Amino acid sequence: MTNDPRRWWRDLDEALDTPEFREALAREFPAGAAALPEGLTRRSFVRLLGASIALAGIGGCFERPRERILPYVSDQPESTPGLGRHYATSMTLGGYATGLLVESHAGRPTKIEGNPDHPASLGAAGVYEQGSILQLYDPQRARGARIGRAGTGWPDVAALLSPERLEPVVGRRGTGLRLLLEPSASPLVAELLGRVGERYPEAQAHFYSPLDSRESDHASVAAFGRALRPLYSFRSADVVLALDADFLAGLPFSLRYARDFADRRRIAAPTDAMNRLYVVEPGLSVTGGIADHRLRARAVDVEPLARAVLRGVLAIRGGHVLPPAVASAVGDGEPAETPHRGWIEALARDLAAHAGRTIVIAGERQPARVHLIAHLLNAALGNVGRTVRYIDAPILEAGAPSHDLPALIAAMRGGAVRALVVFDGNPLYAAPADLDIAAAFRRVPRTVYLGLYENETARACGTFVPALHYLEAWADGCACDGTASLVQPLLAPLYGGKTEAELMAALLGQPDAAAHALLQDLWRGRLTGSDFAGAWDEALQRGVIAGTAAPDVAPAWRWGDVGSVLEDRPAAREAGLEVVLDQDARVYDGRFANNPWLQELPDPITKLTWGNAALLSPATAAHLGVTAGDLVDLNRGGLTVRVAAFLLPGHGDDSVSLRLGYGRGQGGEAVAEGVGANAYRLLESGMSHFGGLVVSIARGAGGAPLRERLASTQSHWRLEGRPIAMRAALDEYRRNPAFAASENGRVLSLYEPPAGGGDQWAMVIDLATCTGCSACVVACQAENNIPVVGKQGVLDGREMQWLRIDRYFEGNIENPAVLMQPMLCQHCEKAPCEYVCPVSATLHSPDGLNEMVYNRCIGTRFCSNNCPYKVRRFNWFDYNAEIAETERMVKNPDVTVRGRGVMEKCTFCVQRIREAQIAAGIEGAATREVRTACQQACPTRAITFGSLNDTGSDLVRRRAEPRRYAALHELGTEPRVQYLAGITNPNPAMPNDDGGE
Amino acid sequence: MTTVASSGSVQFTDRLLAPAWTPSRVWRVLFAVSGAGTLGLVAAIAYTVSTGIGVWGNNIPVAWAYAIINFVWWIGIGHAGTFISAFLLLFHQRWRSSVNRVAEAMTLFALVNAGLFPLLHLGRPWFFYWLIPYPSRMGVWPQFKSALPWDAAAVATYFTVSLLFWYLGLVPDLAAARDRAPGRTRRRVYGVFALGWRGSGRQWHQYRVAYLILAGLAAPLVISVHSIVSLDFAISQLPGWHSTIFPPYFVVGAIYSGFAMVLLLVIPLRRVFRLEDIIAERHLDNMAKLLLAMAWMLIYSYIVETFMAWYSGNAYERYTYLIDRPFGPYGWIFWGMLTANVVVPQLFWWRRMRVSPPVLFVASLLILAGMWTERFIIIVTSLNRGFLPSSWHFYAPTWVDWSILFGSVAFFFLLFFLFLRFVPMVAISELRAQRHDADTAAAPEVAAP
Repeated sequence: MTNDPRRWWRDLDEALDTPEFREALAREFPAGAAALPEGLTRRSFVRLLGASIALAGIGGCFERPRERILPYVSDQPESTPGLGRHYATSMTLGGYATGLLVESHAGRPTKIEGNPDHPASLGAAGVYEQGSILQLYDPQRARGARIGRAGTGWPDVAALLSPERLEPVVGRRGTGLRLLLEPSASPLVAELLGRVGERYPEAQAHFYSPLDSRESDHASVAAFGRALRPLYSFRSADVVLALDADFLAGLPFSLRYARDFADRRRIAAPTDAMNRLYVVEPGLSVTGGIADHRLRARAVDVEPLARAVLRGVLAIRGGHVLPPAVASAVGDGEPAETPHRGWIEALARDLAAHAGRTIVIAGERQPARVHLIAHLLNAALGNVGRTVRYIDAPILEAGAPSHDLPALIAAMRGGAVRALVVFDGNPLYAAPADLDIAAAFRRVPRTVYLGLYENETARACGTFVPALHYLEAWADGCACDGTASLVQPLLAPLYGGKTEAELMAALLGQPDAAAHALLQDLWRGRLTGSDFAGAWDEALQRGVIAGTAAPDVAPAWRWGDVGSVLEDRPAAREAGLEVVLDQDARVYDGRFANNPWLQELPDPITKLTWGNAALLSPATAAHLGVTAGDLVDLNRGGLTVRVAAFLLPGHGDDSVSLRLGYGRGQGGEAVAEGVGANAYRLLESGMSHFGGLVVSIARGAGGAPLRERLASTQSHWRLEGRPIAMRAALDEYRRNPAFAASENGRVLSLYEPPAGGGDQWAMVIDLATCTGCSACVVACQAENNIPVVGKQGVLDGREMQWLRIDRYFEGNIENPAVLMQPMLCQHCEKAPCEYVCPVSATLHSPDGLNEMVYNRCIGTRFCSNNCPYKVRRFNWFDYNAEIAETERMVKNPDVTVRGRGVMEKCTFCVQRIREAQIAAGIEGAATREVRTACQQACPTRAITFGSLNDTGSDLVRRRAEPRRYAALHELGTEPRVQYLAGITNPNPAMPNDDGGE
Repeated sequence: MTTVASSGSVQFTDRLLAPAWTPSRVWRVLFAVSGAGTLGLVAAIAYTVSTGIGVWGNNIPVAWAYAIINFVWWIGIGHAGTFISAFLLLFHQRWRSSVNRVAEAMTLFALVNAGLFPLLHLGRPWFFYWLIPYPSRMGVWPQFKSALPWDAAAVATYFTVSLLFWYLGLVPDLAAARDRAPGRTRRRVYGVFALGWRGSGRQWHQYRVAYLILAGLAAPLVISVHSIVSLDFAISQLPGWHSTIFPPYFVVGAIYSGFAMVLLLVIPLRRVFRLEDIIAERHLDNMAKLLLAMAWMLIYSYIVETFMAWYSGNAYERYTYLIDRPFGPYGWIFWGMLTANVVVPQLFWWRRMRVSPPVLFVASLLILAGMWTERFIIIVTSLNRGFLPSSWHFYAPTWVDWSILFGSVAFFFLLFFLFLRFVPMVAISELRAQRHDADTAAAPEVAAP
């Protein structure tokens, strides 16, 4: 197998340029693929599974990194074939690093877990982290560098970037040189940028991420004179107010915040105390779903509401907590601006009553004034230093508009930029539409792009260098609290490629500098202690560099500036529709759009897959005459997007949400192509929510509305009065702890319950702390080799995920209660599936598992029919027939890859159980703690797993709670998976009508 | 050699044997059409087996759909043949003789069709033999608590007994064909299949005994086979499936649809082959009365099912029977089913309706379609909306599903047209015996059979 990048590049080049060639690629498939039915076309199958024929496969040729990497637990000097090893590394997203442990089998990574030692993870790994491993093996990743259209190697590109070749273009002082990066907190990047700045003093680095509005930094600079970031200690907070802030799932530190929040939310007995969450938001987010009180307001209306809350708090706490000038700048009561007076008053009273133990957090997309109001509220409530602390923003050049994208575009348009180096991200796709970035790029003579794919940006750049995925790279990063961690690769680069650091070193005239060496050089100077080698090994092994958490900064208020910012009020909000552009829970900002696991993961709230939709409240939709599935044109001042409409109970009125990250065009990412609508077309610089939206129904010839089928995994959201997902308020729980008793207790049976010695596996899922974030779903997919079926498969009802999060709405449709219930195989002691299988393919193990014997299954599907929970999945086709060579590498070798015609379902991660039991048997000890993949990934620790005979364990303790119940208890299936009913903590003083439960 | 018979008897025999060696253009056309349909069936089956069950419309939760509907429908249809052969024989209903050959043939061909589906609907059909209790090297037997191995046993038994029964009854007629056929080749072929029947008294006596024994074996099968097929559903715990009335409900429905099929076949047959005197008005009348009786037993089953669902107070049962089936996404199919199964047979209270071949023909078509939709309603609505509303999902068939259904109908007719072409289509020996008895009764001095 030749590794000639030139040869490969020409093929891919042709593939990009000529649709016919790509059609021919698709037609080269073997005969079986030609037999796919309508809808699941060969094309989409190709796209879906990323098979690339013209590019010769890797053939399993992966290597360990040349440099030394260290496993998390190094008690074994050699690696044992068949046993995985965990290596610590970290993944950077949104500029911040989250520490991870990556399980590696036979030298290739197969599964991502959280790093219990890292403050941003504490053992949990979210949707993005779990899904990122598939991106490593994406066969559509770019494989070779190029200059112009000609494939080339790194030396040529490095030569192009070297000072000798670059200086004539940009000037000796680098006047014409610009670097565009994503926001970064990496010490290595900071160091190298500094050195580039020394070499080219007039060069400028710019930072852009569509999800990073910089508004919070602007607020911080206005309030404190420097870019400070608040860090919240949810574990100490009794009352939390989230102003359009999805802190449980949408922030870089969300895994940590979710854990801390859940620790205060979880109760073990009715007499325990739990926190209370108030949320104000335009849409319906995961955080809003678990809120005790939720107020729906347009994003543009959050500011007046925040002001009203601040006024209310000041009125109760007394004016002395803030300087009088500021207090008056906040404004006096204007009833016209506070339609939810009762709600706000009750909220303010609650906050004031818990002063010092509250948190007010403002969402990223809210304007600076709202962030300012949040800072003021925290100050007024005495939270600073207790539940809220400030650190210097770890992100480079935070709060400096001269380093933003508009400044760069202006320079480019003005002709001042002669060479632009773009480090990852996808600005040509994700830049605000009003900046016309494509035109600006055309004015720059030399453009270089470092990226994972030949995407929209790559095509606009003259030179392309393939980037390294973090799992094959040496780098470092900082978490939200400043904790630094190293990134160590788990395998040698699959396709060649470079990291940011190496590209910057080329700019400095060191094309051969390896990232490993650069990293070591940097940290040699920073790791404390005389034994660098030991400290380095420790850092690699633990995945955290001890003592690097940023110190607290006491904020020095600039009251004068604060007052003037507050007084500068915008014009009265006009009524009418607004559009809110959201981060997507699955593809983030679009960078994961080529990841089929993430495309097929149902959105936590809407349960939509493979695309986005315009989310409307039923009232707004009725008002506009829109029905679900209609294609609507969202028009804002000339910017238009056409997208299908989806009616979401609980969504705010007069607000349309649209997730970013879809509508990718033709390019190297075939899976992402054409999926969903491109919301970036509505993005204008500065903000991500805008008023003045006009929604019109797209109609075809003849006037009938155009429609599009949305692939959703759950079409019915009513519980139909069935006691399946149960929830009660805290005071009801205290009055009547046995409120779930109807779904609990003994069921009359002719048969004896099974005798159980030894390990008897069981699980408890706490619905009070499950946010529905769906990290567990991706974790299960990764651990158990679950295939992807594509959009048509989801439309046909054939999604394969073993674990699903059922999302029910209860109560009034305008502002319903949201119940999330993870549903998986219940491992019933009296399993209905077992006695109907004609060939004994599903059996019960002595330790309580309902087992599935794939080799014996002939696929009658009677077991699925008899399963009342409908958790069994069937391989309708051979979903693994044509996956690319590299995609094979992500498969977990401990788990069978199922063929066509067999049923499959959750096995309680039996491979992990058996591994632990075997290890225990060898050691002659009791079985060590086993953690299922879903349990391990969950940030709120809502899933508890263990043995019923392990008295004193978490499992046994939680199963003893009075709010425990079984789903469909009356059927007598005696499931081993039990639920703890959700408990909410509504404020008794809250009026019933406005928002809330 | 046959006993000396009056020339009237010989003419009678010749007349009934004539279709077997009279070429017919109409037959060729019909055969070609059903042949084409059968090829379509084969293609659809090949496509399914090579690519996967995913080419059908099935999904989770609706994991069973057209294949099982077709299976139950075809087996049900087959029951009429056995009912006519066995039950009516044991109850000395002599009018059965005019239609029992056609009915028994229909049963066999319906069973052949039905037998396709349990194999075809498997995800891995090449392992179908694991349903059969053979001493395997893996040391694993079928799991006998499940109804599917019972199905395998029941259908296999039913097919065997039906085949033997049909064939035994055919033997004297094949002998007559052997004796009367023009052309040596024909006589040779019929001679082989006639198994050396001489028509001696001893042979007739053995024949009678064997026939009665087989009837005795086959009669309980009418009850048991479809009861077992109904247990495929009744042993589960789905609302709409696990109802104790299923065994008699299904048996009744089976006989009902089977008689409709017999009528459907017999009415054109008697016209084309001019058998109106053999398959007379009173035969049609009797079959229509049976249809009406079965319809009322079916109506009783519907009422009991629905009443019990309501009476139980169980929320899931009530939802399935009182809300989902009549008013859910398949409500229009439900009401169509009731029209065909409940309203249409009420026509047969009137004798004029019972003996009118066009009315009977159309009614039979509607009843057959109605019984198919009944299985659809039972299977699909219980699966599509189960216990957890989060798992509810719509089901729609694909073109492969339709191809297999219509292809199986074409295959059935292919076999039936072959039967018409080569095999005596009425029970000649029985009819002659009846005529002889009638003559003897008129003229007592002539010897007994």
